[in-house]
Amino acid sequence: MARIAGVNIPTNKRVPIALTYITGIGSTSAVEICEAVKIDQARRVNELSDSEVLAVREYIDANLSVEGDLRREVQMNIKRLMDLGCYRGLRHRRNLPVRGQRTHTNARTRKGPARAIAGKKK
Amino acid sequence: MSRSVWKGPFVDSYVLKKAEVSLEGGRNEVIKIWSRRSTILPQFVGLTFGVYNGRKHIPVMISEDMIGQKFGEYSPTRTYYGHGADKKAKRK
Repeated sequence: MARIAGVNIPTNKRVPIALTYITGIGSTSAVEICEAVKIDQARRVNELSDSEVLAVREYIDANLSVEGDLRREVQMNIKRLMDLGCYRGLRHRRNLPVRGQRTHTNARTRKGPARAIAGKKK
Repeated sequence: MSRSVWKGPFVDSYVLKKAEVSLEGGRNEVIKIWSRRSTILPQFVGLTFGVYNGRKHIPVMISEDMIGQKFGEYSPTRTYYGHGADKKAKRK
């Protein structure tokens, strides 16, 4: 078990895969990390030495924003839009799609489960 | 695709003229503009623009965060009050 970036404990998977369990690290940045700290991508997390884990930890601290910090950053960006009173902010406030998608149908991800409309049946 | 940098930001010329006039002279009145497509430039910060939304001019106080966006983003064009309760359904 290795603790990287706070609470995350990736398992006995290959290192680039295990790193993607951290919010803010996808496969691209996971591979980048492996190359930067010179870890062979075929190796697994439980084969890593303490110093290697430390190196990974330090690389992430120095170069990436992950987990809580990242979430806070995203929330701040959304809040900024909402406070500005611009169109994107209005869409966030209403929980509707922000990037010009149609809302006549679909858009269920933003709108949530469909609500029944009273008296719509024939 | 975003606009080429070498073109510079797009602003309708009359917006620039009006802004310059109000920067020089008696400040603090709403500058009425119809050009929703114009970019908000750094020198507009602190001015108040009345951005037309098709019906009336919505006063928009320009702050630093708004630089680079368009005037139209701050003047919603649609009114939506939500769906009223269906009268037929109520009677039942």
